[in-house]
Amino acid sequence: MVEPAMQLVNVEKHIGKKHIIKGLNFSIYPGEVFGFLGPNGAGKTTTIRMMVGLMNITKGDVLIQGKSIQSDFKQAIREVGAIVENPEMYPFMSGWKNLIHYSRMIPGITQDRMKEVIQLVGLEKAVHEKVGRYSLGMRQRLGIAQALLHKPSILILDEPTNGLDPAGIKEIRHYIRRLAEEDNVAVIVSSHLLAEMELMCDRIGIIKNGELIAVNEVHEDDAMDKTQEVHILAEPLDKAKEVITASFGTDVQLKDNQLIVSLDRATIPKVIKELALQEIAIFGVQAHKTNLEDKFMAVIGENAIE
Amino acid sequence: MSNFLQLVRNENMKLYAKKGTWAMVIILTLLVLAGGFIAKFMDDTTTKEYGDNWREEMQQEMAEAEQNPDSYINVDKNTYYLENDIEPQSYGAMQFAYENTGMASIITLLTIIVAGGILATEFNQGTIKLLLIRPVSRLKILASKYVTVLLFALTLLVILFVWSWIVGAILFGVNGMNPSAVIYQMAGYAQVNLLSEIGIELGLSLVNLIMMATFAFMISTIFRNSSMAIGFAIFLMFAGNLVINFVGQYDWAKYILFVNTDLSQYREGFGGPLLEGMSLSFSITVLLVYYIIFIVASWLSFIKRDVAGQ
Repeated sequence: MVEPAMQLVNVEKHIGKKHIIKGLNFSIYPGEVFGFLGPNGAGKTTTIRMMVGLMNITKGDVLIQGKSIQSDFKQAIREVGAIVENPEMYPFMSGWKNLIHYSRMIPGITQDRMKEVIQLVGLEKAVHEKVGRYSLGMRQRLGIAQALLHKPSILILDEPTNGLDPAGIKEIRHYIRRLAEEDNVAVIVSSHLLAEMELMCDRIGIIKNGELIAVNEVHEDDAMDKTQEVHILAEPLDKAKEVITASFGTDVQLKDNQLIVSLDRATIPKVIKELALQEIAIFGVQAHKTNLEDKFMAVIGENAIE
Repeated sequence: MSNFLQLVRNENMKLYAKKGTWAMVIILTLLVLAGGFIAKFMDDTTTKEYGDNWREEMQQEMAEAEQNPDSYINVDKNTYYLENDIEPQSYGAMQFAYENTGMASIITLLTIIVAGGILATEFNQGTIKLLLIRPVSRLKILASKYVTVLLFALTLLVILFVWSWIVGAILFGVNGMNPSAVIYQMAGYAQVNLLSEIGIELGLSLVNLIMMATFAFMISTIFRNSSMAIGFAIFLMFAGNLVINFVGQYDWAKYILFVNTDLSQYREGFGGPLLEGMSLSFSITVLLVYYIIFIVASWLSFIKRDVAGQ
């Protein structure tokens, strides 16, 4: 059993009489990307603030590599690199000076390491400009650079793709995956966008009103015997429907000019092959990861902030 | 410890990366320059030079003054020179530097602005979050900011003295390295050594400066709002003397901060304590108590509180 990089034990937060966080229990392991998903106001940022010691924990504890963030703050936080909410840095200084500022706070960060992270986030050209002139995407990159300076074993990124263009999002995603897979970093990413999280994360925890509703493996739908809802775009539709019903004996629904079938993952290629043999034109096949999406929609659907 | 030094370096880097800080330094130097030009070209009394037969010149002035009551001639001062047979020295760089020690109150003002902003802006700009998630205790971060404020004040005091001397030397010339002068004190005129007088004046103004800056620092730590801290501190700095007038008759008035910040009241020839029952050791005790309260209050409010969103 691998030791968790970060462990939340019954974490609660009360502000006045309000219970903001109602007992969170979960662990994040080295080498995985953990998605923290929830609507605005669910308590994502509050939880992250408690993880990094910006907020006091009312009850419970956060253990980072086994060290309590409450009683052993310095040792615990040394393992963590983070962006909390927006990547706010000093606008009146250049990106380079901002990095110098943070590098002075942790012993052992060389200029070479600074140049390395700047190259990593692709900020070589702009690093000597004042941060006040940066776009949100550039600030996001600088934020990631400062979080990585001291080679943390845990990386916490609050809405990391916020403000990035699609190319930037893709780049950051690849980068986060690489950190987890190659450097064995435990990455915690928060977002309210499901699609983005599915691409980036290994596991996703859904939080609502301060409670963890579910923790799901993103790729558990890949199991071969898993039944999935498959949408098929084909022409002619009627014939396609007949073929599927005849060959596989499953119930087929027609909706919005698409066929909707519930299929085992292993059956999907067989269905496509059969349709092709019958000379039906297939325009698209899409397997829906019902499990996660359903849960998420159940949460997001009632979007009221309590 | 080297760790702490790095934090102070960081705070200094941030402070001097701001244009506002340099504006303050420039304002101070311009004020000194303006004072120099006014003294040089518009004010004949203070810079007046006397010749070898200065006794006759002074007596002549006094005779003139008697006939013309509106005259700017300072009869008392001349009398002091004549009675003690002190030859008036010509006005020079050190005299000008001495007159500019009054500018220390402007430095207090500028220090209050820095003290009120140094922590509050981290909260306003949200940079406090990335600052506090480092393996450094909050106490050290707070202390590094406070030390930076005091270093800023000291730097301004040094600039004030050196720049005043330079401007004085250019406009009035250098009149020896350690000249003396006859100046007015509460009890009358007296001859003083200028260099030590400058040291005493600046040193005493530092007491008031540190108290007001610490106060502003405390308010900005507790309320995380720079304009409130600056406003409060400046208001108290100016209202302090008014308050004394109103409550001076009460017994507890001597415990008020402002009654005690001006320690020059205890110097010989400066008119004695402001209120009954005060002494130098009393004032120092009162100041220390206030100081400790200010420091502990900032420390307590910073060290444990949640850093929440704006």
